[in-house]
Amino acid sequence: MSERVAIVGVAQTVFSPKRPDVNYAELAYEAISLVLESTGLSVEADIDNAVSCSHDIWDGQTISNIGITDVIGGHLRNEEKLAMDGSTAVYYATIGILSGEFDCTLALAHTKMSQTNRNIVNNTAFDPIYSRLLGLDFTSAAALQAQRFMSRYNISEKQIAEVVIKNLANATRNPWVHNKGFYTLDQALDSPVISSPIRKMDIAPDSDGAVAIVMASEKKALKVTDKPVWIKGVGACYDAHYLGDRDLSECYALRSAAEQAYRMAEIDHPRDEIDLVELGDEFSYQELLWLEGLGICGSGEAADLTCRGFTSFDGALPVNPSGGLLAGVPTNVAGLNRVAEAALQIRGEAGDRQVGDVRIAVAQGHSGFCGQHQCVIVLGRE
Amino acid sequence: MKSAKDNVELISIPMVVDVPYRFAAGKYMTRFLTELRDNGKFYGIRCPLCNRVQLPPRIVCAVCHVKNSDWIELGNEGTLVGFTIMYLPLTDPTTGKPHEPPFAYGSVRLDGSDSVIDHFLNVEPVVEHIRIGMRMKVALKEREDRVGDLGDILHFDPVT
Ligand SMILES: [Zn+2]
Repeated sequence: MSERVAIVGVAQTVFSPKRPDVNYAELAYEAISLVLESTGLSVEADIDNAVSCSHDIWDGQTISNIGITDVIGGHLRNEEKLAMDGSTAVYYATIGILSGEFDCTLALAHTKMSQTNRNIVNNTAFDPIYSRLLGLDFTSAAALQAQRFMSRYNISEKQIAEVVIKNLANATRNPWVHNKGFYTLDQALDSPVISSPIRKMDIAPDSDGAVAIVMASEKKALKVTDKPVWIKGVGACYDAHYLGDRDLSECYALRSAAEQAYRMAEIDHPRDEIDLVELGDEFSYQELLWLEGLGICGSGEAADLTCRGFTSFDGALPVNPSGGLLAGVPTNVAGLNRVAEAALQIRGEAGDRQVGDVRIAVAQGHSGFCGQHQCVIVLGRE
Repeated sequence: MKSAKDNVELISIPMVVDVPYRFAAGKYMTRFLTELRDNGKFYGIRCPLCNRVQLPPRIVCAVCHVKNSDWIELGNEGTLVGFTIMYLPLTDPTTGKPHEPPFAYGSVRLDGSDSVIDHFLNVEPVVEHIRIGMRMKVALKEREDRVGDLGDILHFDPVT
C-alpha cells in the first residue's frame, strides 16, 4: 500500500471554440501523447490503470470512453470512465493508488462541446417527469441560484462582474484558453442578459479540448520526477438532485467535500494555509459561492473579498489565475484542468500566469446543475 | 367483481429526446472517406510494430499503443466471416427511415485487411443462400451520388 500519491506529469490541449479537424480520440491523444512524452513513461511498461471523464450525452455515444479506449491504452487492460467532472478522475485515481491495487494511473478528461447544443444536452440532466418540460438548462438553473444567492446576501451585479473582469484579464496570461481580454465594468454590465441576472459574459463559453495527467505511488513518483506534486487531500459529496430540495444560496456538498479534503490534508485555516485556488467558475457568481463553500470566507463575504483584490492575480490568495472556466475550458474537462493548473503552479511551471511561490493549492470541480456534485483536491509541494 | 387493481391509473409521459450532433470524422477517417468517395478505393491503416492493417483507420494501434502511420490500399473484394438476417425494421439515424426487413447484414474481411467491415449483403435473405467463406465484392453508389459517409457503400454482392 502506498503512503502517498503524486501527480508526475501534466498535459493539456489548446482549448478552442471548435476543433472540426479531430475526432475526440485524436483530441484526447494530443494530451495523452504529450504527457507520456514529457514523463518518459509508456502505457505498456508503466501505466497500470486509466480513469477518464466524459459524458455519453455530450459525446453522442453510450459508454463514451469506447472512443478513447485505444488512445488511453485501455485495450485488454484496465480503464474506467466516470460521467463526472474531470476532478473526480483524480479522486478515483488517488483511491486506486492508495489502496495498493495500482501503481501508476493515467487520468484523462475530454469533451467537444462544439459537436452538439449545450442547452439541449443539459436539459436531459433534468427529471423527465418533473422539470424537463420547462426546458430548463444549466444556465437557467444557475440563474435561479445566482438570484437566490445575490438577494440573500445583498450582492450586486457589479460585484459579480468583478469576477468576469478579473478572470478574463488573468486569461490574457494563459496561452491555452481562447476567451480573454481587459474589460471595464461598463463593458461587463453591457453584455446581453441571457437569463437574468446572468449575462453572456458570465457564462463559460463552449470549448473543445482535453487534459491528461499521470499519477503515481510515492515510490514510483520519485523515480519519474524530481518535482512531484503530492495529493494532500481529497473529498467528494453529492447534494440533492431536485433544485427544490436544496438551499441554492448555500453549497453544503462543497462544504462537506472541502472538510474531507482539509481533514486529510491537515488544513485547519484554509484562508491562511492555502496559496492558490483554481475553481469551477462555470458561471461567474459561482466563484463567489464556491469560495464560501471552500471555507475561504464566511457566507456572503466572497463578493467583498473579490472587490478588495484579495483573490486577484497579485492578491493575498489568487483565485483562477489561469482565467478559470470563463476563459474557455470545456465542461467535464473543467476540474482536471483546475488540478492541472494547480499542479503547474506548485511546480513553478505556469509560465506568465505563475503567481509566485505556491506550496499548497486547492482545485475544485463540480458536476450537474448548480454544483450538485462537488469534488475538492488539495495539492502540495511537500 | 372489479378488483382495486383495475382502477389504478398509470401516467407515463411521451417524450422524444432529440439531441442534434455533428461528429467530426477526424484526420484518419476523413482520409478514408475521401478516398472512398472520390476514388472508390478502400484504405486501411497499418501499425508500424505489429503490422495489423486496421479498419476503421485510427490514430493509435490499440495493441501496441503507437501511432499508426502507413496507409494501405485494400481490395474491393473480400471474404464473408459472419452474417445475420434481420426481421426488425432498424432505423438509419442519418435519414430517420427504417431499413425494410428482411435483409442481411454481413461482416466482410476485405483482401489485405486484418479487420472486417460490416454492411448490407445484396443476397436473398434466406439462410441457405448465404455461407461463411463466400467471396463478396463491394458495390458503391455512382461517383456523383457519393457524399463521403459509409452510405456511399450500397452493399456487398456475392462474387459469382
Ligand atoms: Zn500494433
